[in-house]
Order: sequence, then structure tokens, then C-alpha cells
Amino acid sequence: MSLLEGLRFTRGDSPIHEIDPRVKFLFTMVIFVSAILFTQLLPLLFILLIQVPLVLIAKIQREWAQSLRGGLFLAVIILVTNLLSIYFFSGRTLTTENLEYALAITVRFLVLITSFSLFFLTTSPDKLSLALDKARIPFEFNFAFITAIRFVPVLADEAQSIIDAQRSRGLELDKGSFFMRIRKYIPILLPLIINSIRRSLELAEAMESRAFGATSDRTNLYELRMRGKDYAALVVVLLALASVLYVRYVFPPFGQLLPPGTLI
Amino acid sequence: MGIIEVEGLRYTYPNVESPALKGVDLTIDEGEFILLTGPSGCGKTTFSRCLNGLIPHFYSGDLEGSVIVNGLDVREHATSELAQNVGLIFQNPDNQIFALTVEKDVAFGLENLGIPKEQMIEDIDWALDATGIDHLRNRGTHELSGGQKQRLAIASILAMRPRILVLDEPTSFLDPIGAERTFKVLDALNRDHRITVILIEHRVDLAAKYVDKVVVFGDGLIMNMGSPEDVFLREETRLAGVGIPKLVELTRKLRIRGVSIPETPLSPEAFIQQINPLIQKAGAQFEKTLHPDLEGFAGEHRSSPLIRVEGLSFAYPSGVQALRDVSLTIHKSEFLAIMGENGAGKTTLVKHLNGLLRPQAGRITYEDADIADLSVAALARKVGLVFQNPDDQLFSENVESEISFALDNFGFEKEVVEKRVGWSLNLLDIEKYRKSSPFILSGGERKRVALASVLAWDPDVVVLDEPTIGQDYRQKERLRHFLEQLRTQGKTIIIVTHDVEFVAECEPRIVLMAEGEIIGDGTTKEIMTDVEAMERASVAPPMITKVFSKLSEYGLPGGVVDVDEAASLLIRLKEGSG
Repeated sequence: MSLLEGLRFTRGDSPIHEIDPRVKFLFTMVIFVSAILFTQLLPLLFILLIQVPLVLIAKIQREWAQSLRGGLFLAVIILVTNLLSIYFFSGRTLTTENLEYALAITVRFLVLITSFSLFFLTTSPDKLSLALDKARIPFEFNFAFITAIRFVPVLADEAQSIIDAQRSRGLELDKGSFFMRIRKYIPILLPLIINSIRRSLELAEAMESRAFGATSDRTNLYELRMRGKDYAALVVVLLALASVLYVRYVFPPFGQLLPPGTLI
Repeated sequence: MGIIEVEGLRYTYPNVESPALKGVDLTIDEGEFILLTGPSGCGKTTFSRCLNGLIPHFYSGDLEGSVIVNGLDVREHATSELAQNVGLIFQNPDNQIFALTVEKDVAFGLENLGIPKEQMIEDIDWALDATGIDHLRNRGTHELSGGQKQRLAIASILAMRPRILVLDEPTSFLDPIGAERTFKVLDALNRDHRITVILIEHRVDLAAKYVDKVVVFGDGLIMNMGSPEDVFLREETRLAGVGIPKLVELTRKLRIRGVSIPETPLSPEAFIQQINPLIQKAGAQFEKTLHPDLEGFAGEHRSSPLIRVEGLSFAYPSGVQALRDVSLTIHKSEFLAIMGENGAGKTTLVKHLNGLLRPQAGRITYEDADIADLSVAALARKVGLVFQNPDDQLFSENVESEISFALDNFGFEKEVVEKRVGWSLNLLDIEKYRKSSPFILSGGERKRVALASVLAWDPDVVVLDEPTIGQDYRQKERLRHFLEQLRTQGKTIIIVTHDVEFVAECEPRIVLMAEGEIIGDGTTKEIMTDVEAMERASVAPPMITKVFSKLSEYGLPGGVVDVDEAASLLIRLKEGSG
């Protein structure tokens, strides 16, 4: 659940929050592409670290740390499976080169978590909706997406209430064998599903009452307009993309960080 | 011609046998403020759905008769079209807010209608101003309190400039102060903008003074209608199982005993004005003889301590400090109400009593043993917690297995489980639903199933979180009698609530909370008359107490919370003055 914390928008007024969502999305994509392009530890660490000042400017370090913590388990799994598969495929030896590669792949995962957190934590779903609108996504899909985001915290609260209620009736989630424990989630999942269906009916009634779908010429209270700052940010993002491509394809490849040698 | 004309309205939901509305005729004139009341399941909500076309466009089913709203036949016009004529506002504010900021949410309906931006801004300005939430304009919708959310819901509907507002139990989730503010907003809209208001509400005490007309629904029909003064005095209304405003009830009792009250009062001020001759005549000379010895009875017969909370503090991971150094002793067989506005820390406190939450500072003992080492399951055996929303726990295929769920978890023997299930089904009078699915039961019945599923294992302490939310008058009466019954069995009962009228009738010990601290602890009388603490906790005193705190200026005792006590005091006053 805490991995999702990184997707929960919190209102803020930093310069990062102000940037046009389209530019921010492009930035996230540039980070994404560069994380895929590089496989060495050094550039990936660099891409991770370069985002830290942005996180600090946006004042979202607490939420970011939370989503990193949430992603920690997955990161460990990525590291261990990589090491194990290399170990068995390369004839039961492990070099520092192998270790560095596994670390690089893990860092790549952290880079992705960070860049998505940076985007979702600083972009209000209202603005995101405008960006989707500009991209000519039909309003129905757009609305469904935004509503899903809006109800993530509501659903999380509800799940907590249900868990509390069932524990108060003697349900012990952490006792018993693996399969017994899975069965114990039925008393939690069923009310959650039924409540969601009920809620969706209520939402639909409320939408009808707010003239949803009255006209295909929907208007919008806010408009997205690129301002000077946004163009400046766009130039920076494009320069970043160009330098990433230069470093990857023209610049000589990076050397290894760890001293060469055999671990096992 | 009225702004709403309903004739011979009959409606049956799809896949249901009996009709929800069985022939309703009603004409409402423009600018009227109507209170629609009646027991749960009487067809009020169904009726409101007919007014903006949700029936028959969203709900299919079988509709007969005609509904004309502002000259439009609801059958021939889509709900989205009717939205500009009649706005429907629902019970749960969370399920009608779509955007993340206040301003953007108010805009939602206007955007759907394709209103140009300049006009939209004008409409939003007006709606925010008319509902008094202009200062919240740029706030995030999740930061608002329940009352603010409900006013936002009204603003969002209002922005589309409907001539009629229909509100379906808009204050169920609100504390009394939030409810009162909501009613004031409606009153202003009705008087200043001539908007027709139809308010569906169980909270008749607060609403009565604002409305022109009361319509009482019962079993799919209109049972009774007229001015509030009239309707609430009629015998049929009482028999319909509708809540009667406490002041009307008091007036009726006084009139029977020959006290002259020319006009039926609906507000404390009006009541005092009506009985003014009596007070003037009696004067302060009766001060000595009338003062009953209130202090003598209070808090003397407490038995041994059962639960001790010492210096408890707790903060949620989000950083919200929910409890600050709370200390509290709960005695065996005590009846305790924890009151305070939403977010005061009431629920956080009771979640500590069965170990769902663990103290970050301080400690809790049960029968002098620290509960820190006990699991939730072990503690729950002693302290049964019944949550506000029964839908957060019901999941079984029938009521019987819903109730045996906890008993099986606790490892009771098969015969014991069977005996206990039968016992608790009888206790809550739901034996007839033994084999029914809990999901087909009504809200009140589901609440009783949830309660039965906890009482089945016979815990010594029963904690009920907001047991009266969404309950009608009869259900509340039933709950009150039931709690009395549990008390006679020696159970310790704790209710968490902001329903002051309910508490006034039960007269428990009250613990008053505000901002995570206990700011008052005493008998119902002591707390209800502690104006300063009540205000800090944002709890409005019950109607009768409001009257008597004003009457205390004339030498009458101030601490009166209950209708019968009020009646007997005033009758003695009359007899004393000859």
C-alpha cells in the first residue's frame, strides 16, 4: 500500500508544482527512456541523484521516502533474483561485474519510482485531467481515471475500517498456514467489493444530478497555457534529452565502478 | 399552478414485488420550504428520485401517474436537463464531490452543461457566496470538515441555478453545529432567493423552525401534511413513528395539564415568549421551593474501576496528533457517552480499548492488568466494538453465519455457538431473518445484525461508534430501550456520538473531547450546562437545555435535559402560582 503513497497528490506551491503538466510528463518520459537506455551503475546513479534536488525543491521528500520504503521489498527481490540467476547461469561464480550489473538494475527501479512520484505528487489530478483533455482523450475515460485517483485514499480508509471491524470480531490475519491466511482475506475483500459497488451507484446518481453528459461541448474552468517558465522548463528537458542521447551514443562507454575480481 | 405537481404517483423498483410509492398526490408552490419526514423505508428517497428524473431514467421499473417540475414532465426530459430546474443533494457528501479543489468541484456541473468560462465564474462566485464558503474557494476538498463538504455539495448544485433544491437527509453525518449551519444556509436561500426547498430529514428538532410545511410519509403514501405547529401535534403523526420536536412535545404535555400556551413554539425563544406570563407571575419567589436537589444524585454510586487509561497519546502516521495525554477511568456497569465534534479523537480513543491501536505514550489497564501484552482477539472477548457502518463488516451468506463468525474465531464449542446465535438473534429481534442474506435487509436491520454479531460472545464492555447515524425515530427508541436492557444485565456501555438529543434521553456520564483532549467529564446535566466546554467541543446543547439555561435567569434550575422533567417543573411552577 505504501508504494501507492507516492501517487497521492498533496497540495503544494513549489515551482515544480507550477510547471505545466505536459512538460512535467515529458520530463518523466525522458527519465524513463534514459533509465532504459543505460545499463551501467554510474549513469543510473547519476540519474537517480539528479532528481533529488527536484524532490527537495518540491518539498515532497517525506512522501518520496515513503514510496521508496514501499518499493524496498520489490527492490530487494530484483537484486536477489538477478544475482541468483547470474550465479547459476555463469557456472556458479559471481564477479564484481555481475554484482554491479544487479545493483544497476535495482537502481533503475528506484529511478522509475522517483520519477513517477515526482510527477504524481506534484501534479494535481485536476491539471492532469486538463492535459489528458488536450491530448484528445475522450472525457469519459479521462473522468474515470481522475475519479479512480480521487478515490484511492477513500478506498484505503475504507479497507482500514473493514480490517478494524473484522479484527474486533476475532479475525487474526497473521495466524495459520499460508492458504488459511489467504482465506482470511475473504471477510475483508467481500465488504470492500460490495461497498464499492454501492458507492459507484451513489456516484452515478450524483453525476446524473450534476448534468453529466448533458452536452458534448464540455467547457472547462481552467485552461492550460504555456507560460515563459514552462517554455524554459521545456528547453531544459529537451537539452537533457539531447545530452542523454549524446552520452549514450557518441560518448565512450562508462567503465566499471567496483574493482574487477571474483566474489564467489 | 405549483412549481411541483405530483399526481397519482405510483412506482415499483425493478425485480421488487411491492411498490415503493402507492399513489402520491402533492402540489408544492414556488418559494415554499417543505420538510419531508417519515420512518426509514417509507418512500421519501424514492420520491426525491422522481423529482429530478433519476426515476424513470436511471432506475427503470414501473412508473404511473405524473410528475411535473417547473412545467416539465420528468418522463420526457433527461436528468441532465432537469438538473437546471431541480437540484438533488444526497446524504453522503463524499460520494458527490468529484474534483480536488472546492472551486473546481462547483464548476463540475457547469462544465458538463457547456457554460462559457466568464458565465461560469459568475455562477461559482454566487454559489460560494450564497452558501457562505467563499473563504474555502481554493481549498482541497479532502481537507474540509463534514459540514463544509455538505455546504460544498449544496453550492455545486446551486451553481447550476435550479429553482428547486431537494436534500435527502443532508445532515446525517454532521455534528449538530454542522447541521444547524446547513439549515441556516437553506433558510437564507429560501428567503433571499425564493428557492423552493424540499428537505428530507429525521432531525426535526433543528429543522422545524425553518419550514413552512411538513409532509409526513408512511408506507409509500402521504399520511399527513400541514404547518409544523399542526402536524407535530396530531395523533396520526405520533403514530406514524416520526420524531416530534422536543418543544412541541413539551407544549403538548403542558397544555394537557392546563398550562396556557396560545401558539405552538418551535424555537427556545418562542417557547420562552409563550410561557412568559407564567414565569412573570411566578417570579423569583419560587426559587427556593422549586430548586430540586440536583447535585445530591450525581456520580455517587460508582462501582469499582474496570478500565483505566493513563496519559494516553497517539499520533497517526500522517502526523495528526489524535490524542494528547488522555486519562480516564471507566467503572464497571457504567453507561458512558464520549462526545465531541468529528475529528476530536473519540474513535481513536475507543480503538485503544480493544487493542486495535496501541498507546504511543501512556498505558491502559483492564481489571488492573496492563493490556499491552494481549492480542486484539483476546481483548475483543472482553471489549466488544460495534462500528458505525454495518457494511464494513457484513460478508456472510446468511445472518446466522454472520453472527457465528466471531464465535468460531474465538473457538467456542459447536453447541455453545448454536445457543449463542439463537440467544442474540432473539435479543435483537431478528430471529425471522436467520436464513436471510444480510445484504437484502434494510439499513436499520443491518445495523442490528452487526450489533448481534458482537453481543453474541457476551463481552463485558460494549462500545458503539455512532449508533444513531442514519436511524429514524423508532429505531433510536428501540436502541435506547435495548441499551437500558443491557445495563440491567450489568454490562458496561460506551457510546461514541454527537447526537445530543439521544444522549439527553439516555442521561449517561459524558466525556467531552476536543482536539484530542478530554475537556469535560461528568453527569449529563453537568456537561450539558457547561456552556464553555460544550462550545469548545462544538456540541450544541439539546433544545430543552437551551430553554432552561435561558429560564435560569428567572430563578428556575438551569440543568434540565429531558422533556418529562421540564414538564413537571413547569407544572409545579403553575400550581405554585395558583
